[in-house]
Amino acid sequence: MPNHQNNGNMRIGYYVCHCGHNIANQVDVEALAAYISKLPGVAVSRSYKYMCSDPGQELIQQDIKDHGLNRIVVASCSPLLHEQTFRKAVEKGGLNPYFFQMVNIRENVSWVHEDRKEATQKAMDLSRAAVHRVFFHKELEKKYVKINPDALVVGGGIAGIHAALTLANSGKKVYLVEKEPTIGGHMAQFDKTFPTLDCAACILTPKMSAVKSHPNITLWTYSEVTNVSGYVGNYIVQVKRKPRYIDEKLCVGCLACIDECVYKEGKYADEFNMGLSKRKPIYMSFPQATPKVVVIDPETCIQFKSGKCKQTCIESCDRGAIDLSQKETNEEVNVGTIILSTGYRTFDAHRVPFYGYGKYPNVYTSLEVERLINASGPTGGELILRDGSHPKTVGIIHCVGSRDRNTNRWCSRTCCMYSLKLAHLLKEHSGAEVYNFYIDIRAAGKAYEEFYDKVLEENVHFIRGRVAEVIDWAANPAEEGKLIIRAEDTMIGTVRRIPVDMVVLAVGMEPREDAQAVRKMFNISCSTEGFFLERHPKLAPVDTFTDGVFIAGACQGPKDIPDSVAQAGAAAAQAMMLVDTGEVELEPNTAFITEEHCSGCKSCIPLCPFHAILFNDTSKKAYINEALCKGCGTCVAACPSGSIQQNMFDDAEILAEINGLLAIDNSEFYEKEAIHVG
Amino acid sequence: MISLFPLGFVENKSSPDPRDKMRKIKYESELDLKFGEQMAAKAYGQKLLSCIQCGTCSSTCPLSDYMDYTPRKIIAMTREGFRDEVLNSLTIWLCSSCYACTVKCPRQIHITDVMYTLKREAIARGVYPKRYPIPIFSREFFNIVRKQGRNSEAILLIKFYLKTNLFMMFKQAFMGLRLMRTGRFSFKRDKIERIDKLQRLLKAAESIEEVRT
Repeated sequence: MPNHQNNGNMRIGYYVCHCGHNIANQVDVEALAAYISKLPGVAVSRSYKYMCSDPGQELIQQDIKDHGLNRIVVASCSPLLHEQTFRKAVEKGGLNPYFFQMVNIRENVSWVHEDRKEATQKAMDLSRAAVHRVFFHKELEKKYVKINPDALVVGGGIAGIHAALTLANSGKKVYLVEKEPTIGGHMAQFDKTFPTLDCAACILTPKMSAVKSHPNITLWTYSEVTNVSGYVGNYIVQVKRKPRYIDEKLCVGCLACIDECVYKEGKYADEFNMGLSKRKPIYMSFPQATPKVVVIDPETCIQFKSGKCKQTCIESCDRGAIDLSQKETNEEVNVGTIILSTGYRTFDAHRVPFYGYGKYPNVYTSLEVERLINASGPTGGELILRDGSHPKTVGIIHCVGSRDRNTNRWCSRTCCMYSLKLAHLLKEHSGAEVYNFYIDIRAAGKAYEEFYDKVLEENVHFIRGRVAEVIDWAANPAEEGKLIIRAEDTMIGTVRRIPVDMVVLAVGMEPREDAQAVRKMFNISCSTEGFFLERHPKLAPVDTFTDGVFIAGACQGPKDIPDSVAQAGAAAAQAMMLVDTGEVELEPNTAFITEEHCSGCKSCIPLCPFHAILFNDTSKKAYINEALCKGCGTCVAACPSGSIQQNMFDDAEILAEINGLLAIDNSEFYEKEAIHVG
Repeated sequence: MISLFPLGFVENKSSPDPRDKMRKIKYESELDLKFGEQMAAKAYGQKLLSCIQCGTCSSTCPLSDYMDYTPRKIIAMTREGFRDEVLNSLTIWLCSSCYACTVKCPRQIHITDVMYTLKREAIARGVYPKRYPIPIFSREFFNIVRKQGRNSEAILLIKFYLKTNLFMMFKQAFMGLRLMRTGRFSFKRDKIERIDKLQRLLKAAESIEEVRT
């Protein structure tokens, strides 16, 4: 096979894809191909129905053989989708894969323009620019980096637990970092799980103890990731371990210290029970907490506040596990892949003031009710309201802080099902009449609709209408002393006032308050609502735009337990795929410094977001670590002496592209230049 | 008190078939399918089409108890092209512009403004009963303010009763006299200075309104 790469003459192959009707409907592909065929240097110009299909790729390879092509331009969809496909096709045809340029005439042209004539003109302009550009493409080499097989999982909810166990069971070493004193996340707070009504603790705690005892998992609770540097396969992670003032290795969770605390009764709001009960300064979140180790809260402990405590807890511990002098420690680990499963927070019901949360004691959020009916909850599972009464009627308001442009626009997906579950459980626990106020029941899931049917048959009332307000002024004697829910029963077509003893607000799911900080630390993106953004909503749901960082669970969007677990498994599999490949191919679009031109001004060094630029004190020049460089181009633009150049984006390529775009026709000159360069 | 139902509505006599009075089904051919889009295109109606029929507006509305169709139904019927029912309804006239529905609407539909748009449409088409009080009240009020820059209550009420229900004027006469005695009600025409400037301003506002609707 003749080597076409350096035979002096440009022989460009141009291919325009119809993409079925996606492009062809809005762009005159035949006219486009005919126009490009007349440009200098273009040897072949074709249009084809699906360039990404096997026949489409073979067409390129055949043309390289038959026509001696040495540059390829494909005008089709986004490079994100198919740049790799075409590079491989070009490589198979015997060319360097970087002698290829892709033009996006689908997302950038046919999908966004209405006028066919103007769209065709734009496609011509963009294609002409690419044809001018490929003259200057250089032969580049692929680069590979080794992948560290260890993994980091951030967040120990059900998604993090499942991802960590999956990786650990496959023999990978996993670091699981959790902010709270125990793993388990929101699921540990739930009473039962829909639609099967398994007890949440019964199915979760075995997994929690499996995490604790797994030889491949290093569990760091009460810890936070503070810094991440490095790149795919070689991340360096700093973890801050907050002091719990208990030696984790010595404590066995006998709870003697809690009994002996100078506080005879709990005094501070228990976070795990949503503030429905009180805890002491020394506490354990719940009986099955993992690790089974108590924690001292320095904010409330007398010894930390005044230093004048009898310290009965220390005396009570016969293992000497309590160490009030413990300090914050920092750990540094090297990992190859990272899975983020940082979860969600529930919507703050105070933001919808007309539902009376915080104003009327008997208005609860759903998470509070989960604790209230839980056997290990503040009331031991008995349904006793804040005012000590037992409710005879309960109203459950769906979509609180969801599907609402005034708060959150999205559907939180889980509220319908957990409201049905709570309706069932509340009826079961108290025999109360239960009213559900809903906009739509979204029970799309395996056995979900059947569960809805079951709850309907239990004679739970379903009123299709969004509640306007919860008030306490009675319009008739039957409403005295009750909370009144006012809603339109849209099925019957009348406005109703329903007096109830207890109101449950089915609050939606939101990104965590620190989602933006986490996003920045791990260098990933968020969608507009603030959830972590996946690489592709359908085809890469657990990948992010940062290689080696994966997302799982509700940090990516509202999700129930089955979906979170499925996603965690998928994220673990993706991480394993990277690890088992052993090395990863890097884009050769890195920047490099021409040493003789570098003045050593150091202006590029602080700009680099990846800390890839270092300064050589002996030569007084900067140099770039190629493995760290991500090819963002910041330093290239900033260098005052123009000594930094970037592969695939060097000055000649960019200027030629601009000239092509503006139809400044000096292609003959380029041809000479390109031969000179090539 | 002004009666909310002074004369009742004239029934639709479009069909010659007497059985049609009992017919509950609505044929697509009887609808004005463009009506929803037309109303959505008018002032503040842009989000009308995104209604999810949750009923928050109806349950918030302090007057929905007296309406023939709840606000939610009005939005649904407008969207689906039930033009005659919507424009003949009491609902649009009962809306007292408290904006409670607009504040709570999860789709941020400007329901109060949609009601105004529908009222204007009803006036433009002349589909409400001739002596229906609410539009007459509004128009007389506006005419007096335009002429004088201030409202004169006694004159407004006399004009209003003359055009709606003369009988009511006699019924209310005693209360009027009592109010007059305490100085709360008079036939004096209050006027502002530089009335020409106000009129120019109102004219400009009207021309803007015409362009927008």
